[in-house]
Amino acid sequence: MNLLEKMFSSLGGQPMLIKQSAMFSFLALCQNESLGEIKQVILPRKSKVSEENYHYDVFNDNKEYVLGNYRCVEPIRMLYYFPRDTVVPAPEKVPKRIIAGVTNCDLKALSLLDKALINDDFEDPAYSVWRKNTYIISSDCLSISSTCHCNLFDEKPYAEKGYDLNLSQVNNSYKISVGSEKGEELLGLIKENFTIDDSEIYDQQILDNRQKTVNDLKKQNAEFEKKWKIDDLRQADQEKWKIASEDCIGCGACTNSCPTCYCMILNDESTEKQFVKVRTQDSCQLHGYARVAGGDSPRPKMYSRFRNRYLCKLDYMKTNFQILGCVGCGRCINACVAGIDQREVITNINDQTDN
Amino acid sequence: MDNTYIPVQMKVENILIEDPAKTLRTFDLSFINSEDKERFKYMPGQFCEFSILGRGESPFGIASSPTEQDFLRFTVNRTGLVTNEIHYLQKGDEVGIRGPLGNWYPVEKFKGENVVIVGGGFAFTTLRSLLIYLLEHRKDYGEITVIYGARNPDLFIYKDEIAEWEKRDDLNLHLTIDKEVDGWNKMVGFVPTVVKELAPKAEKTWCVVCGPPIMIKYTLPVLVELKFPNDRIYTSLERKMKCGIGKCGRCNIGSKYVCIDGPVFSLEQLNTISEAF
Repeated sequence: MNLLEKMFSSLGGQPMLIKQSAMFSFLALCQNESLGEIKQVILPRKSKVSEENYHYDVFNDNKEYVLGNYRCVEPIRMLYYFPRDTVVPAPEKVPKRIIAGVTNCDLKALSLLDKALINDDFEDPAYSVWRKNTYIISSDCLSISSTCHCNLFDEKPYAEKGYDLNLSQVNNSYKISVGSEKGEELLGLIKENFTIDDSEIYDQQILDNRQKTVNDLKKQNAEFEKKWKIDDLRQADQEKWKIASEDCIGCGACTNSCPTCYCMILNDESTEKQFVKVRTQDSCQLHGYARVAGGDSPRPKMYSRFRNRYLCKLDYMKTNFQILGCVGCGRCINACVAGIDQREVITNINDQTDN
Repeated sequence: MDNTYIPVQMKVENILIEDPAKTLRTFDLSFINSEDKERFKYMPGQFCEFSILGRGESPFGIASSPTEQDFLRFTVNRTGLVTNEIHYLQKGDEVGIRGPLGNWYPVEKFKGENVVIVGGGFAFTTLRSLLIYLLEHRKDYGEITVIYGARNPDLFIYKDEIAEWEKRDDLNLHLTIDKEVDGWNKMVGFVPTVVKELAPKAEKTWCVVCGPPIMIKYTLPVLVELKFPNDRIYTSLERKMKCGIGKCGRCNIGSKYVCIDGPVFSLEQLNTISEAF
């Protein structure tokens, strides 16, 4: 197989093209008429207040939805592992839904959450029930935000696995790739209701689009693009972390906006009749997070909590799940009120360690 | 898969007030369902999430030994919201338990050799479990030495059992308090100092240390000085273990979670991870 063939085969399956308008009509049918028993369609819409932001929202004919842009403000985790969720009693039945416009960074994050939350020893009942009942339609990123930096972690701005269907926009159509059995089901539903063209003529254009986004990312992050050494982060002494975290106020916005942060607090909210356990999103950046009864805290200083987040993402998660905990989505950079840019933090600590 | 968040139902069988200030109480629990009892197999050093319906859940080391079939024991210091609620429990009340969680003291490795147990204050719970276990299997082990310190004589837990242990000739028990008080005829001094004074021999000996972090921090170097190898010194760490199954995240030390990779660690393991104390 030559390089070109390899690139084409990465587009997956048979070539299938659907008109953009037909795709949205399909999503509308699912939302409005429960096509295939799908009760809800969630996809990105433009922010009402900012040109730069997209939000996941429930499909409604009157809003302006977009597929094919960079990631939404909300991490996809929030649609599976809710900021607040009841785990006892476990949700038994949830409606089938589609989440469309999912970017590759969020798919990577889901693959990490899967390892953490569904394994031989443990299954988070609420996470897994949503995971089972959701179809994921991912899309290639045709644009990037100023904080996107997946390329620094060797990630791609388009999906190669982890989706049910993937859409690659070309002119006024989407080329569909099928990534799973659930994807086949979904494609069957589309085919029953809409015309799908068999066409390969756009494949080169799709590859060009993808390459353009990759190039944009490279250009944007050129100043950071050097071999980051994770070992250096682990060995960097306290002083470097103190300097790096000087502006941090410990609000936890970075972890709350992170697609791979799943730390939570488990609360008992039982009534007299029923045993109820609720898990709520928590943040290792907050002072009281690890405090034990009696007042001791293993990470009483901000810099140690700040360091914990970086090492958790770049070292601990890698050790525990064989996947890097950072997908380079840049949400933590956008969320930070102190304007801390993790690309700079990692680069600076690396630089200082080199000296 | 079973929902791991659901506790097993237990009943409070017995309550013992351990100190005059009533800040320490010991609870003996029994299983309400016999299947749960069958399934519940534990070793000394493990812990449970102890919950009161509608009030909350906290982790406690198991103070009973697996050789004590009839009850599951916890000793609780009244210090926060949940422990306060636990102290209000009455005989016959229903509570919930999730566990057993975490790892345990490697009693298999100790076989045929001497064991030194160093404890401080009300952290003696899992050490009681260990001691009872060792005494129950007495012939499998060599010399057993216990060095137990408390701030004052009132704050020792399991006083009746201590009196029993003192009578045994197959156990070297050393009790110490921080500051001299009238009527105390045993040792006086902080645990690390007392360990140094007693200087238990390190040859063919394993050491288990459990107590307040500050005690552990200063006792470990003393043991190293006494030539205990790092892989023969074990300690149990305290962290906020909210879920007990490595998901809530707050008990991590580096990539390890105290609740699943611990709470029992050897000094050799601890030396490879920073920020343990």
